[in-house]
Amino acid sequence: MNGVGLVLNFETLLVILAASLFGIFVGAVPGLTATMAVALLVPLTFYMDTIPAIAAIVTTSAMAIFAGDIPGTYLNIPGTPASAAYVGESYALAKKGRAREALGINLVCSVFGGIFGTIVLIVVAQSLAEVALQFSAFEYFWLAVLGLSCSIFISVGSRTKAFLSLLFGILLSTVGLDMMSGAPRFTFGVPDLMAGINFIPVMIGMFALNELMSYYASKSEKKTISIVDNDSVFHNVPGHIKRYWRNMIRGSSIGTLIGALPGAGADIAAWISYGVGKGRSKESAKYGTGNIEGIMDASSANNSGISGAWVPALVFGIPGDSITAIVIGVLYMKGMNPGPTIFMDGSGLIYALFMVFILANLMMLPIGYMAIRLSKFFILTPSRVLMPIILCFCIVGAFAINNSVVDIWLMLIVGLVAYVLAVNDFPMAPAILGLVLGSVVENNFMSAMLRTGGDLTSFFARPISAGLGIAVILLWCSPLLIKAYRYQQHKSG
Amino acid sequence: MRDFFAGIGFVIAGIVTIITAQQFPTLPSLQYGPSLFPSLIGGGFCLGGAVLALNALWLRKKAVAQEAHGSPSLAGSLPEKTNWAMLLPPISIVFYILASDYLGAMLTIMIIMLLLMLLRKTSPYIALATSLVVSSAIYFIFSRYLLVPLPQGLLLGGSLPWIS
Repeated sequence: MNGVGLVLNFETLLVILAASLFGIFVGAVPGLTATMAVALLVPLTFYMDTIPAIAAIVTTSAMAIFAGDIPGTYLNIPGTPASAAYVGESYALAKKGRAREALGINLVCSVFGGIFGTIVLIVVAQSLAEVALQFSAFEYFWLAVLGLSCSIFISVGSRTKAFLSLLFGILLSTVGLDMMSGAPRFTFGVPDLMAGINFIPVMIGMFALNELMSYYASKSEKKTISIVDNDSVFHNVPGHIKRYWRNMIRGSSIGTLIGALPGAGADIAAWISYGVGKGRSKESAKYGTGNIEGIMDASSANNSGISGAWVPALVFGIPGDSITAIVIGVLYMKGMNPGPTIFMDGSGLIYALFMVFILANLMMLPIGYMAIRLSKFFILTPSRVLMPIILCFCIVGAFAINNSVVDIWLMLIVGLVAYVLAVNDFPMAPAILGLVLGSVVENNFMSAMLRTGGDLTSFFARPISAGLGIAVILLWCSPLLIKAYRYQQHKSG
Repeated sequence: MRDFFAGIGFVIAGIVTIITAQQFPTLPSLQYGPSLFPSLIGGGFCLGGAVLALNALWLRKKAVAQEAHGSPSLAGSLPEKTNWAMLLPPISIVFYILASDYLGAMLTIMIIMLLLMLLRKTSPYIALATSLVVSSAIYFIFSRYLLVPLPQGLLLGGSLPWIS
């Protein structure tokens, strides 16, 4: 009952409503991503209680991921990267005069995917938490290393670049006083850096300032809509669900699983689900020509991926994607340690969190419907007016955390580095995971070494620790193993 | 060739990280000191940077060889032109840091918004009205509700409300 009380109060409900509108707006405006929306929101959540703060982030991210489909359908420009996989299908349908039908099925699949992922979270997280209670520094060390390794191997593009991006994040996590010796590291005599790098200015720099710079580096945009949309939003939805319900369940399952892997977010979940759906469809030739099936596969996957990412985040404190990495930072800021004890503290916090997930996804139906009806208003909002406003929010938001100009400098420096990395195709997700997990790896390594007098073999002395260690080694050897397997097959075939 | 230079950049960053890490104090009772992780990261930068640079060189060599055989390649494609407008947000931030103590936060962010909107060819009336309303709203929300002491500025000399 504590959990119900934490959610069903005026403040939290108002925050959920406001975050819904904010998420829909940011997602529907091309060029603004869900991660950017969450990064901009964090300075405000700093002043909220824990549940409204997390509710704001959960609702904003879920809404933004759905709303990313709106510009994708009308302009062939995905509002967020998570919509990129099936933007061609939605746009092709829109050109046939079925824009609202495409968005209606997108909306229903997003709600279904989000709730599916939440149910998995509720069922799996509790049992996993009981296992996680047995974990010590050895297991947490390997778990964090496994998470960091996954972020390299799952990321799209060059693994070397993902590795370097990850190291950049871990390097940022080492700034400040060393946990064991108390020695200052990379503080350059700046007292504000003694307590370590502040998470929020880094997030704003990495995800908001970086994108603002990309916007100004691009040529002037001119958005015109040539799509006619007089069709009904929900009229054909029941028929599509009856025909393609398997795609929704498969997409949601793939999305939840991919989302739970560290480093793989909603965008990768959508691409994989779309690919699997195309491979298994009886009408795969129709993919790319405005096929509802493809939309159902991927649209269920991206929203379930958002919920799936919370499984490792809540149970182990290992974020599943950039958004949960931000949430973990927020939880730490509020003096809470994500991990198995969060399930046993009796405060009802975890049940409140589950309720927030369900509520946010259910609210997507009416607010999403309204957003579909007002699509053109969102899409035609001029970025040239919005971007300067966002920049000023970034400046004031970075300052507001500690009332310190050092944080604005930090945001600026990280934003510049992130921009240079991003234009050279370095992925950003490993960097943010490195920042969050870097201290987890180092602190657990150091405390394990203190306990065992520096005996490195102790990392393989406990069964779960050894299992996780072997999993990490296998993961790192996987490219070689795959090459050897292919070579063997080539030789025999 | 951008990857080549990025790789070289990471190698240099790795060397600097390792040298800096060696200056961290160590305690005789600790087998692994505060320099361990930064040194490993520096080593990773050197290794990854070298792989990136060498790979870029190898791809370049391959592309040149392909071109010599008459196959089209990316080697001859022109590099993308840098649009210096990307520096507008960082310049605006530096302007805020330098000017806000004198002009005050509200006036500074209003100027930033107005100039950035005008530079992107927004109608002057819309730019002026939006920057005036939004800068007042930001100042009001952060100062009054979130109690953030945004700089009021010497210019206005404490004449703005909402700051205690």
